[in-house]
Amino acid sequence: MDRDRFEYRLAVIFGVVVTLFAVLAIRLWQVQIVQGDYFARLAEENRLRVTPLSAPRGVIVDRAGRPLVENRPSFTVAVLPLEFTQPAREIPVLASLLTMDPDEVARRVASGRDMPFAPVRLRRDVPETTVAAVEESRMDLPGVFVQVEPVRYYPYHELAAHLIGYLGEASDADIRESRAAGYQPGELIGKDGIEREYDRDLRGRDGEIQAEVDALGRPSRTLRTIPAVPGNTLVLGLDLPAQQAAEAALGDRVGIVIALDPATGAIRAFASHPTFDPNAFATGIPVAAWNALLHDPRQPLIDRAIQAAYPTGSVFKIVTASAALDLGIVNRDSGFYDPGYFDYAGRRYHDNNNESFGSLNFLTALAVSSNVVFWTISQPVGADHLSEYAHRYGLGARTGVDLPNEIPGVIPSPAWKRRALGQPWYGGDTLNMAIGQGYVLVPPIQAARMLAAVANGGAVVTPHAVVEVRSPTGQLVRSIDPPAVGEVRLRPETLATIREGLAAVVSRGTASSIQIPGLAVAGKTGTADSSHGKPYAWFAGYAPAAAPTLVVVAMVENAGYGAEFAGPIVQRVFEAAFGLPLTPLPSDAPKPCTPSPPRGTRPPSVLRTRGPGVSSAISTRC
Amino acid sequence: MVYSTTRSGPHPLAFVESQLLHLAAGLVIGVVLLAVDYRAIAASSRWLYAVNIVLLAAVLVLGRTSLGAQRWIALGPLGEFQPSEFAKLAIVITLAKHLADRPGPYTSIRDLLPFLGHIAVPMLLIFRQPDLGTALVYGAIFVGMLYAGGARRRDLALLAAAALALAPLLWHLLKEYQRRRLLVFLDPSLDPLGSGYGILQSKIAIGSGLFWGKGLFAGSQNILQFVPENHTDFIFSVVGEELGFVGALLLLALFLLWVWRGARIASAARDRFGALAAVGVVSMVAFHVFVNVGMTVGIMPITGIPLPFISYGGSALMTMLWATALILNIGMRRQKILF
Repeated sequence: MDRDRFEYRLAVIFGVVVTLFAVLAIRLWQVQIVQGDYFARLAEENRLRVTPLSAPRGVIVDRAGRPLVENRPSFTVAVLPLEFTQPAREIPVLASLLTMDPDEVARRVASGRDMPFAPVRLRRDVPETTVAAVEESRMDLPGVFVQVEPVRYYPYHELAAHLIGYLGEASDADIRESRAAGYQPGELIGKDGIEREYDRDLRGRDGEIQAEVDALGRPSRTLRTIPAVPGNTLVLGLDLPAQQAAEAALGDRVGIVIALDPATGAIRAFASHPTFDPNAFATGIPVAAWNALLHDPRQPLIDRAIQAAYPTGSVFKIVTASAALDLGIVNRDSGFYDPGYFDYAGRRYHDNNNESFGSLNFLTALAVSSNVVFWTISQPVGADHLSEYAHRYGLGARTGVDLPNEIPGVIPSPAWKRRALGQPWYGGDTLNMAIGQGYVLVPPIQAARMLAAVANGGAVVTPHAVVEVRSPTGQLVRSIDPPAVGEVRLRPETLATIREGLAAVVSRGTASSIQIPGLAVAGKTGTADSSHGKPYAWFAGYAPAAAPTLVVVAMVENAGYGAEFAGPIVQRVFEAAFGLPLTPLPSDAPKPCTPSPPRGTRPPSVLRTRGPGVSSAISTRC
Repeated sequence: MVYSTTRSGPHPLAFVESQLLHLAAGLVIGVVLLAVDYRAIAASSRWLYAVNIVLLAAVLVLGRTSLGAQRWIALGPLGEFQPSEFAKLAIVITLAKHLADRPGPYTSIRDLLPFLGHIAVPMLLIFRQPDLGTALVYGAIFVGMLYAGGARRRDLALLAAAALALAPLLWHLLKEYQRRRLLVFLDPSLDPLGSGYGILQSKIAIGSGLFWGKGLFAGSQNILQFVPENHTDFIFSVVGEELGFVGALLLLALFLLWVWRGARIASAARDRFGALAAVGVVSMVAFHVFVNVGMTVGIMPITGIPLPFISYGGSALMTMLWATALILNIGMRRQKILF
């Protein structure tokens, strides 16, 4: 082969090489310059791992700063899937150490497969003995470790459980609805009560540790630590001594106690029995326990103060009296005669075993709760006015309290009856309504608000559980002070007479048994029919009568006379709230009584919760 | 570069020391090679061929396996060496001698068959290790040298076609991981955490170097060991990351210069052997650079071919040094320029 051809071929070879190198150069240009930023970002993402630091939830305290809900450190046993190298051997050991089902352990470990560097919780809040056992076997359990986490703690257990609420895992619906809140799956959030209403304040902000990791995900150094910000502290209006007295006095009966500050609506006590212990939910309630609560026939999860409505019985006479006085139909001294029965539309309605009060003025009628007098005035007042004055007192409408799932209750009227039941209004309905029976169904919190309006001179306040939100370091973030929603707008004489009457109820009327030495209490008893058994016992009062600073309402289901069963509860709460010695509780045995049989009346029925129903025209204080 | 990739870890200087040692040894022997007239080397070609075959066979029998391939023979205190690296230089020399002894002209494929047979045995042994990359290098050397040696283009094309026709058979013979490498090359997302991982990480490393690079020893992907084998096969990714586009281009330019000098020497060589040996070495080096760098930027499949002079590996380094020595040798004793 001659030289020229060789030279030529050599040149070709060199040309090929140059071309190949040019291809490389172009490719480098493409990767480093054109796509350089993209790869630079990937490089950053490669090397950074972010570990979240969970923020402790905000503390909840009573008005004096006493902690009602806090966090306590707990041990969680967790697994790092990356290092969990011998599942077949380790899972049974873990299952027995943690007293868990092996399938459950396996399931949890498997759930973390996609993120092998993220720890997977196996069991929260394990006892110290378990921690010791796990640590002992550490060498035989690669990938298993114990970490300290805050757990919600309710030192007073069932106290004010419905007000405070409980936690639960964020559901898909929760996550969707509150995108802004940024809930993570499996995160524990407030599900009821204050824990839910103020969840944003309580949550705080998780911190994070940004670490540089190598290709195996092992942290090589920490770049930045952002500390977690604990949630805000909620200061409740709750007064712990009053609350404890309320809970103790209510005991194991079914019913409620609410106490309010009449000027601001701040809730001073709030008890609903039967109740539950929120501690059961703190680490995620087991399914069996949840089902037990849900299906308990006594329905402990219902907050009876705001999620149930009851006939008020004679407590409604405050409305009737207000209407009659304000419209000028009666005044304080109007005279009546009570023979123990009332004739209307061809029927005779009996009052309390035909008990006759004889001659009495209106004030006394209110004090002794004479049904006959109130039936008498109910016709001139009329159902429409009764309804109107009830609404003025805020009855029949939600109070706007900062607790979830409040119901409005029912205040009937002829228009309402036509709309809701398709039936005309009868005179007998007015009779019933005037004494708080019939279709009247009031959630206890509205009754408390009504008493507050009487106590504070006519302002219909908005009840609220929380009074202040403070930062973890104690600085005020905001005050909760909702304005009153309206005024009852009574004539001064009306209000004065009402107040005088309520004071008389305690000083010489139906509630004289609960007088407290040194404290003038005013209020109204109520004993409302129940088709399920014994009547609902009510007492709604305030003290001191002249310049009230506290309203307390108690209602007991299936009990008897209001004065006998609800009155002592209120008495105790007042004593505790004002620092007075506590009167011993009366026995539970109810007084024997025989209700007078109804004469040609419709069969009685009363619903425990909302909903209209046919009622009897009799009232028994048995 | 080797220092940059290996300075973290229990023995930061171990790799560097090893390289330096091999560098020293290589230089010493290289000087010896220079001193000797290359024609003497050519004369020992048969013997060289035999030794090559023996060593390649020995590897298959005694060799240490790493990464699924049997490539190393232990030499006790002297470390290990990779016969397939030396085999590349050996075949250049022996094939050049063979071509020089039968200058042709090569008028048909039949004339090329002896040369085919020449490389077939060592190539097979290498392929059995299995070392697909080095086997391909043999292919490149063969084509380059035969083309420069005067084979007809038509015949070479036929050979290429025949090789392609044999490809399915070859596919069958390939090991699983080799097949996966080729597949993943075509679609890296097939196995992003396995075989595709290297390519992906290498591109990230190189790409994130941008124009000026992150600075020597400061490459995060390098330090955090995101690119596998970054002190050997993927060492160019470190160049790209730490020295940027500028540095990478500079290195390519240096290689191009080396190739150009080699070509000049081939042109000016005194005899056929010298010319063809130079062409062979040039082909070898150019192929290495293209395949290795191409692999790190994702335009070539992973083949385990090192980057000449840069990748960590004693045998490869010495081979390159001796190859350079050979070329210089040829260059030193070139013909006087005829007018």
